[in-house]
Amino acid sequence: MRKKYYFFITLLTIIVGLIIPFSNNTNIGVAADEKSHYTITTDSTYPPFDFQKENQKEYVGIDMDLLKEIAKIENFTYRVKPMSFNMAAQAVANGQADGIIAGMAITPEREQIYDVSTPYFKTGVVFAVAKNSKIKSYEDLKGKKVALKTGTAAANYALELQKKYDFNVTYFNDSNIMYNDVIEGNSAACFEDQPVMQYGIQTGLKLKIPEQKLGNAGGYGFFVKKGQNSQLLKKFNRGLKKLQNNGKYDQIVGRYLGSAKSSVTKEKKGNLPHYNIATDVTFPPFEIQAKNGKYTGIDMDILESISKSQGFTYTLKPMSFNSATQTVANGQNDGIISGLTVTDERRKVFDFSNSYFRSGFIWAVNKDAKINNIKDLKNQTVALKTGTGSADYAKSIQKKYGFKIKYFNDSNTMYNDVVVGNSVACFEDEPVMRYAIKNGINLTIPKQTPANTGEYAFAVQKGKNAALLKAFNIGLKELKESGKYDQIKAKYLGSKADTNKEVGNTKEDNSVWGLLSSNREMFLSGLGNTMLLTVFAILIASVWGLILGIMGVSENRFVRGVYSTIIYIFRGLPLLVLAFFIYIGLPNLTGVKISTFAAGLLTLVLNEGAYTGAFVKGGFDAVDPGQMEAARALGVPYNQAMRGIIMPQGLKIMIPSFINQFIITLKDTSIISAIGFVELTQTGQLLVARTQKGFAVYGIVALIYLIVITVLTWLSKFIEKRLGF
Amino acid sequence: MNDKVLKIHAENVYKSFGKNEVLKGVSLDVHENEVVVMIGPSGSGKSTFLRAINQLEKIDKGSIIVDNVDVSDPKTNINKVRQRIGMVFQNFNLFNNKNVIDNITYAPLTLKKMTPDEAVEKARRLLVTVGLADREKSPVSQLSGGQKQRLAIARALEMDPDVMLFDEPTSALDPEMVGDVLNVMRDLAKQGMTMIIVTHEMGFARQVADRVVFFDQGVILEDDSPEIIFNQPKNVRAKEFINKIINA
Ligand SMILES: Nc1ncnc2c1ncn2[C@@H]1O[C@H](COP(=O)(O)OP(=O)(O)OP(=O)(O)O)[C@@H](O)[C@H]1O
Ligand SMILES: [Mg+2]
Repeated sequence: MRKKYYFFITLLTIIVGLIIPFSNNTNIGVAADEKSHYTITTDSTYPPFDFQKENQKEYVGIDMDLLKEIAKIENFTYRVKPMSFNMAAQAVANGQADGIIAGMAITPEREQIYDVSTPYFKTGVVFAVAKNSKIKSYEDLKGKKVALKTGTAAANYALELQKKYDFNVTYFNDSNIMYNDVIEGNSAACFEDQPVMQYGIQTGLKLKIPEQKLGNAGGYGFFVKKGQNSQLLKKFNRGLKKLQNNGKYDQIVGRYLGSAKSSVTKEKKGNLPHYNIATDVTFPPFEIQAKNGKYTGIDMDILESISKSQGFTYTLKPMSFNSATQTVANGQNDGIISGLTVTDERRKVFDFSNSYFRSGFIWAVNKDAKINNIKDLKNQTVALKTGTGSADYAKSIQKKYGFKIKYFNDSNTMYNDVVVGNSVACFEDEPVMRYAIKNGINLTIPKQTPANTGEYAFAVQKGKNAALLKAFNIGLKELKESGKYDQIKAKYLGSKADTNKEVGNTKEDNSVWGLLSSNREMFLSGLGNTMLLTVFAILIASVWGLILGIMGVSENRFVRGVYSTIIYIFRGLPLLVLAFFIYIGLPNLTGVKISTFAAGLLTLVLNEGAYTGAFVKGGFDAVDPGQMEAARALGVPYNQAMRGIIMPQGLKIMIPSFINQFIITLKDTSIISAIGFVELTQTGQLLVARTQKGFAVYGIVALIYLIVITVLTWLSKFIEKRLGF
Repeated sequence: MNDKVLKIHAENVYKSFGKNEVLKGVSLDVHENEVVVMIGPSGSGKSTFLRAINQLEKIDKGSIIVDNVDVSDPKTNINKVRQRIGMVFQNFNLFNNKNVIDNITYAPLTLKKMTPDEAVEKARRLLVTVGLADREKSPVSQLSGGQKQRLAIARALEMDPDVMLFDEPTSALDPEMVGDVLNVMRDLAKQGMTMIIVTHEMGFARQVADRVVFFDQGVILEDDSPEIIFNQPKNVRAKEFINKIINA
């Protein structure tokens, strides 16, 4: 027992060590004057106040921009240390840092520990509801469920309201999951700081703020440790005043929240048409996921510009390319922008916009392979990505050149297959291939290259969403006319003058520790999703499996038949097929859309539940038949004997199987990434797509799985002991 | 003897397992207070017949009447009948997930035949009679073989059965434990319990049995008093069998 305890502590230490960021400090500032250089802590992500810009290490946001301007005016330099909010506040309280600016509300409690500046931002708590919600005021929340983020001022405020307005609360640790809970209708509303909520809605959340009444109105301040750094505080106050007077303050706030006028127009956004747009998770330079989880790339920039100019909003649904096309074809999503080549076959199921990009197919080979001519491919293996235009093209010339074909679901794996020499070449869309090579993929494009031009276009389900398609076409035309289109293209592909300019993959620390610390949020959120899916799947599948197992030992032949059929089907179906069937096939049948989480959970429950059911029945069967005979001989009916004698003994037998199944369930969650659920494995894939560091990223991912599995096993054994088995 | 109440009346009982015909027309009457010992070679059908009496084995043909209830009739509530027939198995079959006293009280409590107080009080009395009064809370895994079988007898007696069936109750026991179990059974017989016992304990049978029945190849070849069966059996196969066990 003691030994195990220490083992667990050691593990915890490893986990904490992995998660706590290493020197991820950002140095800003010039000509350090010894007495005027400060260390300022901030929250690592609290948009629009503090957050990392796409693809950049630098922190931006209202707080950061204000601080930067104030430092300039007041002539001091500083170093920003982003960390979790609690750590940031504590570092200042115990003197490790000089000040904190982190959207930190001024409260009497805090004024006991800190000296605080004049408030630099007025804020308060608002509540938001789904766009189609009829909820208008606190009164409408009666009896409904309200989502809160643990430990926030907004949550505390909501709890004060709770008694008066009589609603139920549910907690989330992460704002995004909280928002989604409201969007999906599980909760009726969420409470959040007003600027944060407004920024979220402005950047595409399908929520609205029904009344702009500020609850618990107060201000954000800049804090220093009580009785210390009064100079710094003075400078901050003076600088802030100057910024407010010269209009710079309004500029900065406007940059993130829109001007007063534009925030009024944003209010109306609630009535704008909203679409779900599917896209590939990784198809650089068209779809690239940045460190903060946001998507950029040519497609993304075009879509965003058009949505703004044409007045619609959208939710991006990144998933594998195949799933993306299918979910649009079956109406689950409204449109797809995914470097989708226009082909005659696709015209049968999609309506295409005008082409927004002209692309050709290209092939790339391993640098060491002596392949220059397409004829050299004879009898060699060529790697293709499923469902792409380049794959179709390669297939069309396969007979002629006599090569073998191997399929992959994602570009990066395909490239690596060529890099390691399993395949000699791959076919890819030209801009994609060039972008990848520029970003470090060790392949080369032979001089003699097959040419076939294709057009990329935005697509919707045939005969549907004509308005969206029209808006896209008009928007695209406007983009081209205004020159914005060329700007976007140049941003990712470079103009001819600077083809070597890298985009989307600027100098990042790609060491294991660097990867871990700079992508901490992504890993944590991936791990969080994995855990969420695992825990729910384990709980529900165990209950379902127990029910199945009990059906399996029923006296009734019909019930046993139902058991056998269910086990036969769901143990027989590959998990991946089941996942696709539920996520893509089921909405076709029922017409009801289903979230990736729900689809993933259902898939796991059905599959793991079937395995559980089989070993539960096995466990009951393994109990000595004499036990049942003895009970029956006493006149105890079958069902009662089952419950009182057989099941307690059978459950004991099956405990190792349960623990085993828990571990399998955890690992099987990785398969759910295929339908676009961003859990740990998918997070790894996204990171690899961005950094090209497959070994390090998957190494980290593997290690996290092992740690979680160890903890899970330990926990199961602990519970087993606790239950006295 | 014949003026006594007929407790068990088996008539022309047939039973096959697949192609293997195990009981080939067995008929047997057992009266109140009678102790009948069944002997016979391995595989002759003794256990099968015993288990047919409380329908742990369904029969193919014939009838078995216990206390005027036809147990082979599908319409009979067999659970009700089983409550009046105690059974003791060669391998004890104690409930492994229950301690000593809970083994005894499980059935009456599950079937709501007694209140918990009544069940426990009666169980304690029975534990005294089988010599296990000090083991009330022990897990059954901590009992010796002899103790296990005495507990199994107490478990059956808790339900106040009219008839007790014993299937080789001592053959899984070490020799030094056999005596205690037989003593408990002897006391039961003295109290007038109606019993069918499959056993090869000759001394016990001579002392306690009213009748000894010789089973062979699915039929009863001889049915008589212990003196006659053991000393001068009429049937050749019975004679061979008895010689074998006496000289074993
Ligand atoms: N459940 C069963 N399925 C198939 N055959 C069985 C079953 N139970 C008993 N038999 C067969 O029926 C025959 C009689 O078995 P039974 O147990 O009644 O004999 P027995 O006289 O009790 O023998 P023993 O002295 O060895 O206990 C044997 O051949 C046995 O193999
Ligand atoms: Mg037998």
